[in-house]
Amino acid sequence: MASLATSIDLGATAGSRKRRFIERNSLPALLLFLPPALILFTLFVVLPMVDAATFSFFDWNGYGPITDFVGFENYADVLTHRNFGTAVRNSLIVVVVSLVVQLPLAMWCAIALAERGVHINVLRTLFFLPFMLAEVAAGLIWNFVYDGNYGLLPAIGDAIGVDMPFVLGDKFWVIPAIMLVITWKYFGFHMMIFIAGLQSIPSEVIEAARLDGVKRWQIVRHIKIPMIRSAIVISVFFAITGALQLFDLIIPLSNGGPSHSSHTIVTFLYQFGILRMKLGFGGAISVILFIACVIVALAYRRILFKVEQN
Amino acid sequence: MKRLALVAMLGLAAAMPVQAQTVVKHLHITSIPAEVELMNSIAADFMAANPDIKVELPFLENEAFKAKLTTLLQSADAPDVFHSWGGGVFYEQAAAGVLRPVEDVLSDEAKANVGTAGVSAFTAPDGHMYGVARDVSEVVLWYNKTLFTQAGVDPASMGTWDGFLAGVQKFKDAGITPIAIGAKDKWPAHFWWSKLVVRLAGKDGFEAAARGEGDGFAGEDFVKAGEYFLQLSELEPWQEGFLAASYGDASGLFGDGKAAMHLMGDWDYGAMKDNSADKDGIPDDELGILPFPTIEGGKGDPTDTLGGLGGVLFSKNASDAAVKWIEFFNSTENQAKYAKDAYYIPIAKGAADVMTNPFKVQIGQNISGAHWHALFFDQALGPNVGGVVNDISAELAGNSMSAQEAAEMIKEAVDDSL
Repeated sequence: MASLATSIDLGATAGSRKRRFIERNSLPALLLFLPPALILFTLFVVLPMVDAATFSFFDWNGYGPITDFVGFENYADVLTHRNFGTAVRNSLIVVVVSLVVQLPLAMWCAIALAERGVHINVLRTLFFLPFMLAEVAAGLIWNFVYDGNYGLLPAIGDAIGVDMPFVLGDKFWVIPAIMLVITWKYFGFHMMIFIAGLQSIPSEVIEAARLDGVKRWQIVRHIKIPMIRSAIVISVFFAITGALQLFDLIIPLSNGGPSHSSHTIVTFLYQFGILRMKLGFGGAISVILFIACVIVALAYRRILFKVEQN
Repeated sequence: MKRLALVAMLGLAAAMPVQAQTVVKHLHITSIPAEVELMNSIAADFMAANPDIKVELPFLENEAFKAKLTTLLQSADAPDVFHSWGGGVFYEQAAAGVLRPVEDVLSDEAKANVGTAGVSAFTAPDGHMYGVARDVSEVVLWYNKTLFTQAGVDPASMGTWDGFLAGVQKFKDAGITPIAIGAKDKWPAHFWWSKLVVRLAGKDGFEAAARGEGDGFAGEDFVKAGEYFLQLSELEPWQEGFLAASYGDASGLFGDGKAAMHLMGDWDYGAMKDNSADKDGIPDDELGILPFPTIEGGKGDPTDTLGGLGGVLFSKNASDAAVKWIEFFNSTENQAKYAKDAYYIPIAKGAADVMTNPFKVQIGQNISGAHWHALFFDQALGPNVGGVVNDISAELAGNSMSAQEAAEMIKEAVDDSL
């Protein structure tokens, strides 16, 4: 994901170069570079997707040939499943919190830490560290933090005289608790994207603004943020798709519980599709998720396009 | 010239027996290092006696094993022999044709060694025998004698459901957590529902419901099981934060002497020690096993037990060498080694005789004297219905679902998979 981010970040300047490259030697280059990627993509992305879509029309437990055609029954089962609504709601909460809390926080830190300096580098590394941690490891660490008997949270509660709930066993608190971990884990990543953007702003522009007596906040509002628009576009896109696909933090933290109250769409798929060996049902969920992602991607492009025109 | 080449090749083949070895892959889920070592040593003995067979013992962690097995069995990398809890999952594997019937290959001696219960546990509805039973386990109500004395609860008074509830209330009044439960993992909660069903519906009622007959799991006895469960949950008998507690957490809590009872399989005897803070857990003289309370009017037999009957299955490509290995592995002589170190209660005839651990001995007697040894419901009913049973059990423990709704959810899942 990080490498993807940097490559996209360079996209603005690489675009023109790429076009020239293709014009000059397009055929040999295509023949040389396209097949490996195309084959891998087809084998590991397109075919499984087609498979999953096929399963979704059958009743299949994963064993033997697929014979039991049931039409759209799996889709109906998914949509009427008592926990599907919760899963969708949770995924949407993650999207909203990512956009409303995580990105502004990342932006705030980025603006504060875009300068150069030793202590700034230390802070930047500190904020970026959670992102480098494996998701499962991060989930387990926070599991200890939240543990109602021996965890850090009840210890803090004791110190200030508040009786802390067992957050991961509480249907209400489990969601805020997970949101905190998500924000902690990923804001550093977005911060880095923003910092890269901020550092590419020519210092003359800022200096000129300062000389003209533009206030600090106005510089941020009218110069810095508009000038790193492409970085924000990428961040928002990652935040949304990442939120829709959230899985590996949830499993060690709450495993979707208590009472299936903290499932995201993907953990819902894993729990009810894979573990319960209802692969047709799982296929239907994945198709629904896929369609949702495509709609988001297309809508996002459209909105951006409109903003661009304005 | 040709003949010479042939002779040379045969000579070469004889000189390199390694190439002629049959490899037997036995996929297991044993994670305790000493137990793995024992398994390795048994395999080494076998290979020394059978130089033409090479036994490999790949390992998968419990949850990973469940998630990967379906794909693994249909791949070129399928193990020859693998662990199984029997029940619904086994029947689905058998029906899908990924297993090898072994009734004609397995020696009569090996069949006799696991008894009729062992044979029938690994015989699918199609009448073929696909595996070999290895061990039995039972879910029992472990209790801490010290805490019972402290709260002034007489264990004998807990024999009936009303007495049991009264005892739980006494613990509450004394400020002691009555029962530890790992409700995050759900299956520990499903033991409570299962035990109540064993008492209320009995063997015939359960089996009829599993076949979807009559009202199925929405029938009177099953709704009642939920109601009794809720009576208990209303007393808030569990430890604080039980919905966030895994099996390991609950086991450790009980082992640390912070809860009076724990409804768990016989394996908790070791796990409770391992999960406790000091790794010693409750000493043997302070630990006891309570019979699960009886319920007036219940259709179950008082001797009925709930637990497992585990073993191994043969995948469709398993060689005769794989069967030979399991015959050796499951022999009384080798299984006695497991019994001696109390890893599990072996099913092989006479192997359990060497058990000295009083709890394991008692559990062994419970199972052999049982009218019905009910298999773990979440295994017996298959992954889908079993998953729903686990779900509703956690809900009932949390007092967040009505008994009627719980019963209907299971019935729905059964109807769905019939």
